[in-house]
Amino acid sequence: MTGDAAATPLLSCRHVGKSFGALAAVRDLSFDVGAGEILGIGGPNGAGKTTLFEVISGLNPATKGAIVLDGQDITRHAPEQICHAGVARTFQLNAGFDSMTARENVLVGAYFGRSNRAVPTLRAGRAAHEAADAALEMLGIGDRADKVTGKLPVLDRKLLMMASAMATKPKLLLMDEPVGGLTAREVDRVMDAVRAIKAAGVTIILIEHVMRFLVRLSDRMMIMHHGEKIFEGLPTKLLDDRTVVDVYLGQGASDRLRSFMENTHG
Amino acid sequence: MKSVRRDILIGLVCLALAIALPIAMPGRYVITQSTLFFIWAIVVVQWNLVLGISGIFSLAQMALFATGAYATAMLGFYWKVPMLAAIPTAGVITVAVGMLIGLACLRLRGPYVALLTLAIAQVMYVLIVNDTDCFTTVGGCMPLFGGVRGIGQFGDIGLRALFPSKWYVAHYYVGLALLAVAVTISIVVIRGPLGLAFRALRDNPGYAMSRGISRFKYQLWIFAVSAFFTGIAGGFYAIHFRVVGPTVFSFSTLLFLIAMIVIGGLGSIWGPLLGAAVLMLADEGMRELSDYRNIGLGLLLAVFVIAWPNGLNGLNGWLQRSRASRD
Ligand SMILES: Nc1ncnc2c1ncn2[C@@H]1O[C@H](COP(=O)(O)OP(=O)(O)O)[C@@H](O)[C@H]1O
Ligand SMILES: [Mg+2]
Repeated sequence: MTGDAAATPLLSCRHVGKSFGALAAVRDLSFDVGAGEILGIGGPNGAGKTTLFEVISGLNPATKGAIVLDGQDITRHAPEQICHAGVARTFQLNAGFDSMTARENVLVGAYFGRSNRAVPTLRAGRAAHEAADAALEMLGIGDRADKVTGKLPVLDRKLLMMASAMATKPKLLLMDEPVGGLTAREVDRVMDAVRAIKAAGVTIILIEHVMRFLVRLSDRMMIMHHGEKIFEGLPTKLLDDRTVVDVYLGQGASDRLRSFMENTHG
Repeated sequence: MKSVRRDILIGLVCLALAIALPIAMPGRYVITQSTLFFIWAIVVVQWNLVLGISGIFSLAQMALFATGAYATAMLGFYWKVPMLAAIPTAGVITVAVGMLIGLACLRLRGPYVALLTLAIAQVMYVLIVNDTDCFTTVGGCMPLFGGVRGIGQFGDIGLRALFPSKWYVAHYYVGLALLAVAVTISIVVIRGPLGLAFRALRDNPGYAMSRGISRFKYQLWIFAVSAFFTGIAGGFYAIHFRVVGPTVFSFSTLLFLIAMIVIGGLGSIWGPLLGAAVLMLADEGMRELSDYRNIGLGLLLAVFVIAWPNGLNGLNGWLQRSRASRD
């Protein structure tokens, strides 16, 4: 499943740029993501990682370049069209419909997220309800279904975002720092969730600061700095790259990460 | 499923009580005041879809009500359209106007929506009142929209002719039937996919869009759905009072209806109806105070906004919670 990105890219970004006035948050970025793989994106704060997701998901469209999903140019599509085309996203901050129950949150994805509803029906219907419940079960929060979203603890909110994304039946899932602010036990929970999502056939782009999490899950990695790509390749090659060690990780963190990788992989 | 059954139960009990009221209290005053209550309750229930469920601070609802009333009167006066056809047509015209207002508000947020919609209502009022050119001179000089005096003599739905001495009871039941349908529709909307989309856009627009909800499309839906019965209520108001004038734009009516929603409970299903009933009764109590009526209303509104932002409906939940914590 890994390494054949060049053969059939599911997502292809070509010279993508995004400027906020004079600030170029993403610059001339080109990369492919193959069907079924997990691409991990790292990089310092302000590198433009979240902006890249804003651009792909259409909430803040690109100012330059083209984004192609499955052969279809989605660069200028509205966010809801991009969702219908098969791209779902989770957010760095805990987004959610706070006044709704967890089940209703996921129902939004199941009912509105799969295809355009020309005229909405009077009732959501059995199929959407079953899809919502299945997504909640998949992320292990089925017992939280009737709780109000705004009152859920952090881990549950993050899992709920993933469940509502999965309910849209995505081809590609964009996850923005899914383990930020979680304890080690909770990080393991999310790691299992990401593996389950991958096993369901969904391609994933993963942004994360926690490198131990990122290197264990990613098939390939990309490191961004000042809106540009400074590294793209296998996680095992990451620490051999001088630029990455110098501008992002630092020598001490690199050494610790190396011994961690040798222990888990060896 | 449980909450749906609860809604049906509450609805049927209220309906049964309302059907029995003219038998229990046959006085004309009570019955005509109750008919007015039905009209305001229809507007408030539809307004709640915009204000409470969708979180859009539109103050255009009275302008939409006026659109329905004026469209009904003008269709009857100028084109001699029978009222039973004019009222639904006015409903459709109101939907079109509502969608235009929704479109105008699309890029605006919070207080700016309130300002724009208030300005639209004000412009409509000024245009009607300041227009003194005679559009027709049949039966005296009459501006296109009737000017300050308003429009009369546009026809009736025939209940006055059918029940000469008890027509107001017949109107009571028409108002009740319209309210029952309006409430049923609002419940179906709130509990169904449309309500889900409205609430999703209210809670987090960006997240809603990235889960497949088009902000453009559902904003138009919100305004269209809430406009239809508001326009119908305007039409019924027109034939009930036999005259439509610029008083429907009055600020005190607007304040009165907002107070109903806020005091009843913004965004809840039964709160606005409860608020409408409570305020109609409170207004009855303050009738003797004339000038102080608006002050009393303003104070009541302020107290609720500050102390009980969830209204009477929220008070109910708060009582249940404090009872549960005592057990
Ligand atoms: N909406 C915006 N308007 C202006 N500048 C922005 C906006 N969003 C992000 N930026 C800027 O773009 C840069 C990249 O930010 P971001 O993509 O959030 O970085 P990362 O997710 O890698 O930490 C930062 O300098 C940030 O201040
Ligand atoms: Mg970020």
